[in-house]
Amino acid sequence: MKTTSIKKMLVATTAAATLGTAGTSYAEDPIRIGGLYILSGSAATYGEFAQKGINLAVDEINGSGGILGRQVEMVYEDSQGKASVAIQAARKLVYSESVDALVGLDSSGVAQGMVPTMPELQKPLIITHAATPDVTGNLCNPFTYRISVNVAQNMKAAALVAADTDATNWTTIGPDYAFGHQSWEFFGNYLKEIKPDVNLMSETNFPRFGAEDFTPFIDRVMDSDAEGVLISVWGGDLVNFIRQANTRGFFEKDLEVMFTVGAATEVLSALGEEMPEGVHLSTRYWYEAYDNAVNDRFVKAYINAYGTAPSYNAEGAYAAIYAYKNAMETAGTTEGPAVAKALSGMSLEAPNGTVTFREGDHQAMVSPNWGVSGPMHPEHGIRTLTNLQIFNGEEVARTIEETGCKL
Amino acid sequence: MKTKVLMAILALVIAGLIAVPWVASYFYIFIFTEILILGLFAASFNLIFGYTGMLSFGHAAFFGIGSYATALVLIHLEWPFLACLLVSMGAAAVLALVIGFLSVRLNEVYFAMLTLAFGMMVFAIAYQWRSVTNGSDGLAGFTLGSFGLGLDLTLANPSVYYHVVLGIVAIAAIVLYLICRSSFGMILKAIRQNPERVSFAGLNVRTYRLVAFVIAGTFAGLAGGLIAPFLRVASPELLHWSMSAEPILMAILGGTGFFLGPFIGSAAFVLLETWITTYTESWMLVLGIILALMVIFFRKGLLGTAIDWWMEVKK
Repeated sequence: MKTTSIKKMLVATTAAATLGTAGTSYAEDPIRIGGLYILSGSAATYGEFAQKGINLAVDEINGSGGILGRQVEMVYEDSQGKASVAIQAARKLVYSESVDALVGLDSSGVAQGMVPTMPELQKPLIITHAATPDVTGNLCNPFTYRISVNVAQNMKAAALVAADTDATNWTTIGPDYAFGHQSWEFFGNYLKEIKPDVNLMSETNFPRFGAEDFTPFIDRVMDSDAEGVLISVWGGDLVNFIRQANTRGFFEKDLEVMFTVGAATEVLSALGEEMPEGVHLSTRYWYEAYDNAVNDRFVKAYINAYGTAPSYNAEGAYAAIYAYKNAMETAGTTEGPAVAKALSGMSLEAPNGTVTFREGDHQAMVSPNWGVSGPMHPEHGIRTLTNLQIFNGEEVARTIEETGCKL
Repeated sequence: MKTKVLMAILALVIAGLIAVPWVASYFYIFIFTEILILGLFAASFNLIFGYTGMLSFGHAAFFGIGSYATALVLIHLEWPFLACLLVSMGAAAVLALVIGFLSVRLNEVYFAMLTLAFGMMVFAIAYQWRSVTNGSDGLAGFTLGSFGLGLDLTLANPSVYYHVVLGIVAIAAIVLYLICRSSFGMILKAIRQNPERVSFAGLNVRTYRLVAFVIAGTFAGLAGGLIAPFLRVASPELLHWSMSAEPILMAILGGTGFFLGPFIGSAAFVLLETWITTYTESWMLVLGIILALMVIFFRKGLLGTAIDWWMEVKK
């Protein structure tokens, strides 16, 4: 079992606290939740941030009596961003570590491979990051849910942002797997619908995920007629990309630049002032976008514990643990099928407002955030977002018919 | 006496393997399925490595094409499982014939480099031909239909699939073993020891090497056909050159001089990986240390060392 030292500390503290308040009995075994994230390689910070969000939720829940009177315990496995590894790891978590539920998945490719196997495992999965529309679309099943924004939602929002600019010639730079290709496909379709006179260029750029050198792609876009470019490169790749783009003078060119996951705080903290001002940045959750008590508490607790602003991945993972708390308490059990059923149509108060898992496709109706990078934040050491737009989760979502999901 | 004891041990191991779903914890059904499939992959590799003396760095190409063939047939044609496996073997055999024809003419490092180059080409095709192979994401979301031969087996049930794999791998292993023991196998061994001498004896070394290469590729394709339904995904990782390293490591770990060595190596590899990754993410580091120690101190691999030790005790 992999537990971070922070986690162990928290468990120790809560254990001590519970011992202090005599009378409460925790004779039952803890509820175990399996976490499947990328814990190695260039995107490992995403796994790390998810773990931070989860640890916070687990600590809060255990500190206030646990779920159904039982403590919560996390078990993590490294998905390595590969579907075959993740599927084996999920089997290990369910059959060997006896977890009651699963959270995780950072990569769309992994999600596409793993989601079809969920009914066999008979355990619910809440996806907290991977964004491919397919898993709440044609691959949907009774055990799979997603609490984070998907590509279709975010690209609908992106198209609305793009339609407001003067650019007509659009191209893309995206990772060469499901996420990059689907981002472009959905963006193009929505943009064409809103603004039929745009030109979606046939020259697209799909560097390998984890590629170190992005300069050929940067040069190609700079030499083309593109006026707008949708960039869905993410994680450590995005940090490399922006550094290389800076040295090439990419941002000095008269281009509308849209980063579909550019406002991930993992990326913003790594880049600091190297992130240029005046580019469109999106995130599935911006920590300053929501004015509610849950968000205030979450952001404060997160900054207290880790010293950085929470990322969307931390928020999604944090909320997912609370979703399980709600569902298990509604179902009155930790039985996989019952918990999965309880999640359907369920609403909960998350940092990004009231989140509802739609019954038809199990996609949470959450709001994509888009903004323009502004001056540095005085305390958090990252760019701020100006002209912040919080899109309505339901308005940017596909209809159930459009998803192709039949539940 | 010696053979009797060995046969008894083998019978016990097989009985133990059959009993896995009833005696071991549920998770170990998956572990043993993986061990058997990768063991067959490594054993097929050992036919050209341990027996014929050719170090191929591109064996994953056949394993991978086998997995893609089964996945494609399941997605588009929904044929019975056995038919998928035949397609996998056929596809791998054709690919091995092409790559082998161009590679076996060269020796030593040139052969290794050429197989590596072909392996990477096959990987690049699977990686980039998005419309057919779904690119880097691989093919997923296929469902397992019937087994074939009119047998009513629920392949989606992991213990049923395990027994199916056990049966198929056992049959394949027996066939491979008979090939190794045949006069053809003896000639392969002779080629490893002294190709000049074999060719002076009037035999066409290149043809023998090509046939061995195609047989090895065909069985690797069978292993690939078994892995895709097990993993539920056929992805480019299965074709990557790092996947070609796995049968090499397994064969060396288990012992290249023994037919069952690669199976023992596969078991050691998969079990160690499962146990070690529970404690640390740096499993490759631990594997590296173990391999270095094996090559320095126990050249004959786990099985070879164990047999040596047993013979020593017998004296």
